[in-house]
Amino acid sequence: MENMIEVISLEKIFGKKQALNNVSFQVKKGETFGFLGPSGSGKTTTIKILTGQMRPTAGTAKVFGEPVSKLNTPEYRKRFGVVTDNSGLYARLTIYDNLKLYADLYGTSLQRIDEALEAVNLGSEKKTQVAKLSKGMTQRVLLARTLLHKPELLFLDEPTSALDPANSKHIHNGLKELNRQGTTIFLTTHDMEEADHLCSQVAFLNKGVVQLLDEPKQLKKQYREEVIGLELKDGRELELPLQSSSAEEIQQYISREMVERIYTKEPTLGDIFVEVTGRELV
Amino acid sequence: MTFSVKRFMAIFQKDLKDLYRNMYVSSTALMPLIFAVIYGRMDNVTIEMHLFVISMSLALVGTFLQCAMIAEEKEKNTLRGLMLSPATLTEILSGKSAVTILITVIVTGISMFIMDFSFSGRIGLMAGIVLSLIFFIALGTWMGLITRSVLEASVYILPVMFIFGMGNMFIMFAEQYAFLQILEYTPGLQLQEIVELEDAGAGFGELWKPFAIIGAWAAAMVVLAAVTFKKRMMD
Ligand SMILES: Nc1ncnc2c1ncn2[C@@H]1O[C@H](COP(=O)(O)OP(=O)(O)O)[C@@H](O)[C@H]1O
Ligand SMILES: [Mg+2]
Repeated sequence: MENMIEVISLEKIFGKKQALNNVSFQVKKGETFGFLGPSGSGKTTTIKILTGQMRPTAGTAKVFGEPVSKLNTPEYRKRFGVVTDNSGLYARLTIYDNLKLYADLYGTSLQRIDEALEAVNLGSEKKTQVAKLSKGMTQRVLLARTLLHKPELLFLDEPTSALDPANSKHIHNGLKELNRQGTTIFLTTHDMEEADHLCSQVAFLNKGVVQLLDEPKQLKKQYREEVIGLELKDGRELELPLQSSSAEEIQQYISREMVERIYTKEPTLGDIFVEVTGRELV
Repeated sequence: MTFSVKRFMAIFQKDLKDLYRNMYVSSTALMPLIFAVIYGRMDNVTIEMHLFVISMSLALVGTFLQCAMIAEEKEKNTLRGLMLSPATLTEILSGKSAVTILITVIVTGISMFIMDFSFSGRIGLMAGIVLSLIFFIALGTWMGLITRSVLEASVYILPVMFIFGMGNMFIMFAEQYAFLQILEYTPGLQLQEIVELEDAGAGFGELWKPFAIIGAWAAAMVVLAAVTFKKRMMD
């Protein structure tokens, strides 16, 4: 099976509000797919449809090659994991007891609890009551909870939106490791750096419409300004066209040892998003 | 439809552990015990007092516990996680019902022990309590499905407590306020009817009627809970 997720012409209408409009994309096995868009663009709605929590108004959505309407069985639910932006834990129970419930529900060994907690760097906090955790730690426990059963496919709805940079970095490393081990990840975010760092494929979602879909590397190449920048030791900055005619001039600066730094002008994913959609990411 | 005993047990254990630490909800279980202590110290403890405390445990513990557990899962966004796990709503609700049944039976048992009441030989009453428990748990499940927070559940439980929990006491005013006669039909007063018939040595020929009334409450409530449950499953 090549496609873990296949979405064709998906529509979702709430009353008069069109939340998703003709959305199509595919996520291949082993990918980390980033669904990027500002708040209100339809990211959560898409995850809800893909995980069977909401029905689409029109169009088809398939996960593991099956229509999502067929995914409501325990067997399918064992194959994916979800962390949404409003997932909850049992505050009066310890981290361990919270995870033990899910280990039992998924039928995994209790040893997986320790492994999952190690993966999010919470191995020493097992006995801590969840009510006493910071937002960042709670988020890490939620992630550990979805790692227990080693899902083939992981849905993450803005996994780091509540975290400080140090915690985000930790989660990012964990996700990369997970992806290396074969888990396909579908991630929504409005953090373009995060997407750039993690995703092999990104879709730009704006007001329910997918406006662009490509590899981050390709996008940056495509939207790159065709110039070479030179920063000279005397402080001057030059921009030369990216053409053979510039070669001689550059060579002269180099041979006279005047060059501090040479760079190409690569846009960030954020820059590209603004250019394509005309909207800032908030 | 699959039913996994392992998942049912997982929910049961989790809810029992959580309840143990949940002072707000578990303290309501003290109410019947307090009444049991107060009545138990009187010189002449009547059967009406026993049945008042039993009805109160059923309504307050059976219904409120069940309702509050379900409402809190919604309030704290934990139900969504369970629903996305392999657990089915049937397993989740069964696990919770098992906790509620256990606590209700314990509270009723201790209250009657405090009041020096013996269940021995009272087969009819015990059967009536079991049948009533089905009604009260179905009522709690239905209320849990329609409320969104523990606070809301605490408000909704008030009429239930007055009608079903304290009906055995309010019936005393039925002569002044005729509309209170309707309370005759509550499970609590039907339990009293069963005891009175049993004490008078009545056979099944007369006993079937209170059982039929309690059974009708239970059946109607189970249907209402099941219909609401089906609707909730859809969205
Ligand atoms: N249950 C709902 N009822 C009505 N409108 C909704 C509902 N859920 C989402 N919406 C609307 O759909 C749009 C997309 O929402 P959402 O998917 O939550 O966006 P995002 O996750 O990208 O912030 C928003 O305009 C939101 O107000
Ligand atoms: Mg969202």
